[in-house]
Amino acid sequence: MTILDVKYLSKIYEGQVPRQALDNVRFSLRAEEFVGIMGPSGSGKTTLLNVIATIDEPTSGEIRINGVNPHQLGRTETALFRRRELGFVFQQFNLLDAMTVAENIVLPLSLDGVPVGEMEQKLNDIALKLGISDILDRRIYELSGGQMQRTAIARAIIHKPSLILADEPTGNLDSKASDDVMRTLRTLNEEGATILMVTHDPVAASFCKRVIFIKDGRFYNEIYRGDNRQGFFQRIIDMLSLLGGDRRVLSTIRL
Amino acid sequence: MSFLQFAYRNVSRNKRTYAAYFLSSAFSVMIFFVCTLFIFNPGIRESIMYPIVMQTMITAVCVMYLFLFFFVLYSVGSFLASRKHEIGIWLMHGMTKRQLHRMIFLENMLIGTGAVVAGIASGLVTGKLFLMIGSLVFGVPSIPFRLTWEALALTTGAFAVLFLIISMCTSGLLRNLSLIELFQAGRRTKLAPKGSAWLSATAVVLIVAAYGFAATTSVSDLYVRMLPVTAMTVAGTYLLYNHAGVWLVERLQKKRGLFWKKTNIVTLSNLSYRLKDHARMLFMVTIVSTVSFCAVGVSASINTLSEQFHNDYPAAVSYLAKDGNPAEGEHLQSIQRELLAKGLHPRILQFPVKNILVAPEGSGSDPEVLSVISLSSYERAIRMAGLSHGEQPLTGSDALALVSSERDRAFMNARPLAVHAVTGGRLHLKEIGYTRHVAVPEHLLRTDLRQMDGYTSGLVVSDELFGRLESRAGTDRYTAFYVDDFRKTLGVANTLADSGEVRFSENRGFTIAVSGTLYVLQMGAYRAMLFAALLIGTVFFIAAGSFLYFRLYADLDYDRRQYAAMAKLGLTDKELSRIVTRQLALLFFVPIVLAVIHSSFAFIALQSLFYLSIALEMGFVLLCFFAAQVMYFFFIRFHYLRNVRKKLL
Repeated sequence: MTILDVKYLSKIYEGQVPRQALDNVRFSLRAEEFVGIMGPSGSGKTTLLNVIATIDEPTSGEIRINGVNPHQLGRTETALFRRRELGFVFQQFNLLDAMTVAENIVLPLSLDGVPVGEMEQKLNDIALKLGISDILDRRIYELSGGQMQRTAIARAIIHKPSLILADEPTGNLDSKASDDVMRTLRTLNEEGATILMVTHDPVAASFCKRVIFIKDGRFYNEIYRGDNRQGFFQRIIDMLSLLGGDRRVLSTIRL
Repeated sequence: MSFLQFAYRNVSRNKRTYAAYFLSSAFSVMIFFVCTLFIFNPGIRESIMYPIVMQTMITAVCVMYLFLFFFVLYSVGSFLASRKHEIGIWLMHGMTKRQLHRMIFLENMLIGTGAVVAGIASGLVTGKLFLMIGSLVFGVPSIPFRLTWEALALTTGAFAVLFLIISMCTSGLLRNLSLIELFQAGRRTKLAPKGSAWLSATAVVLIVAAYGFAATTSVSDLYVRMLPVTAMTVAGTYLLYNHAGVWLVERLQKKRGLFWKKTNIVTLSNLSYRLKDHARMLFMVTIVSTVSFCAVGVSASINTLSEQFHNDYPAAVSYLAKDGNPAEGEHLQSIQRELLAKGLHPRILQFPVKNILVAPEGSGSDPEVLSVISLSSYERAIRMAGLSHGEQPLTGSDALALVSSERDRAFMNARPLAVHAVTGGRLHLKEIGYTRHVAVPEHLLRTDLRQMDGYTSGLVVSDELFGRLESRAGTDRYTAFYVDDFRKTLGVANTLADSGEVRFSENRGFTIAVSGTLYVLQMGAYRAMLFAALLIGTVFFIAAGSFLYFRLYADLDYDRRQYAAMAKLGLTDKELSRIVTRQLALLFFVPIVLAVIHSSFAFIALQSLFYLSIALEMGFVLLCFFAAQVMYFFFIRFHYLRNVRKKLL
């Protein structure tokens, strides 16, 4: 079943010097896939994610999530669509520091008017799964980066969205926390969640089942993971060096 | 970029933050300037209102100046607090403490100078309007617009000094701040506020007790209770916001059924998070608003006193010749001539006033003078004024205490009825009550009783008893001229009494009260008070609004980020505006509603001073302020929502 279908998506930023951020991008995501999007800086990764997340409007082309084109919905319906169908994980976490961990996690459910008993049930399940049961009553500023991101992930999945969008989820984390977060995402995926992740980090990308590369706003290539993560990582590195945003960073020939 | 330019850009590019502060400072300068225009206006100097206008305006100017001092100090303090991060960046890039102080000083002086210039400019534009309103209010024919250099110099000088002192004070606010503190100020790493249940209870007890005392107050203990009750209310309000508010929100957060319901989760957690920050501001807004409501309310209700004027001065001209004054005939004739010249045909009433010596019951002190009139004289005086008399007939040694003014009627309950022992005889005059009307205006009779506190001006006794009384302190003769419209007697007997009144204590051969002149003066004084109170009340009210505005915009960036994050999770416009509306409504109306309740109880206490009900005036004043606040709320809500939405998606 196709969850996300991106069709001939283009995005042009107007301005004194118009800039084409996305150019006829086309791909799709089936259910229970875990796809990474990679590319050099300025290649249009974040724009792509924002358009899919309905945070930004495409100039042409369309996307369909579960058969619905969210860009044709009204403002309120779009908000409700985001609230019910999508889950977000951001590089900056975007947690509300006026609230405790538990309150942050149940926020999407609260806004949707779910009964308190059900909210508590789901909260406890998810907290257990992500290993944050003991910090539920803490305030956001008392958490470490990894805990913050796991809280954000909990918030993104508590309402069982059809698609989880992650924008550089490991960008602000150290390697240990990154590893934690990526393992969590992989587990979620294995349990049936569909995840689309934008990342810079080849290690994080190697957790995906498939990585799509874009360059200058265009679809460039995609590679699938076999059984071997280490090998997959190597292929990602090779692909990145081939893309070569800056050729001096990585040589094209690896010895 | 020179240093001055740097300071200028800091200010001019933060227009939005400074807008309300700048506007309310400029507005205060304008009102201050207009008041000085009144004070130094040569047109008023010739008017009979001059002393009254001077007094009220000088008081207004002083109150405003004092208030502004604290207002500016507080505002500047909170501006600095909200800019700690910026200051940290300056310091990190090598700005010396000296330079920093100079920067802050320059910024403040820039805003201050701007406010003074803007205030004086708008004062010049609107000055004529205020003078026209003033001439209506004070009853002065027309006040010419005269820009006197004194007014300009006083305003500029006063505010130059004010801003200079404040600018120097702020340097003190910045002492001993380490870089790390400045940097961390931006991050919101404060501990969650804790409200103490004990102090919350204390707050409620204090306020309820203060209300109780205010509601049960009577004339006799009004002045005793005033200060403690005010102190209790202020302390109670402070604790209410700082502890009871926080405590209440904590309780609410424990109730997940309520707390986690829809947007409540956002509203309540924001509230608890901010309350500690906001508590001080809410407290100030409440107190400042209460003061402004009370000032305007009291002045408005004092106007009800003018309705009782005719009761206090039943005759158009009241004249009393002291015992054996040879000029009496001449004075009476000249008064009559003047009345006739104005086309008024007076009805004249004349009766004798006996001044007897009495010793207060039970004390052997010196004899006191007591003026006595007969019941028939009293009845005629009342009837001719067109009032119904209907006093009970007096028998034997019974007497009625003569009320000296309706204003004092409230005090009557506090004063015990006295028995007077007439000196040189066995006679005891026993007060059995008070007259229902004032027969002779106050300050005209000779009565000089210590124990009566001046609330009665003499006694009314039966005609038979009156005949028997021996006037040891002389017999005066009272003459009253009644006309149809007493207001027309303005300016009558100018040569005898230039301000409409000669009191007994002035030691002239006569006493006189010209109702027309007194009426104009009294009304003028009341209206001048109301005018000044309105000006001050508006300045206070606008300052309170500026506190709110500032707090709101200091938090705007944080709020925007927060709402943007929520919008990404899927927050509909309707939910956003519901959250914002609730949050603003709490900020705007909690202090105002509390201030309204506070001042209502203050008015209940004040009512005991008044003979007539002041509920209508008070209600009107409170309603006007409330309406102004509602308008302000919608204005700010509109702009705030637009500002928050601008950065969303």
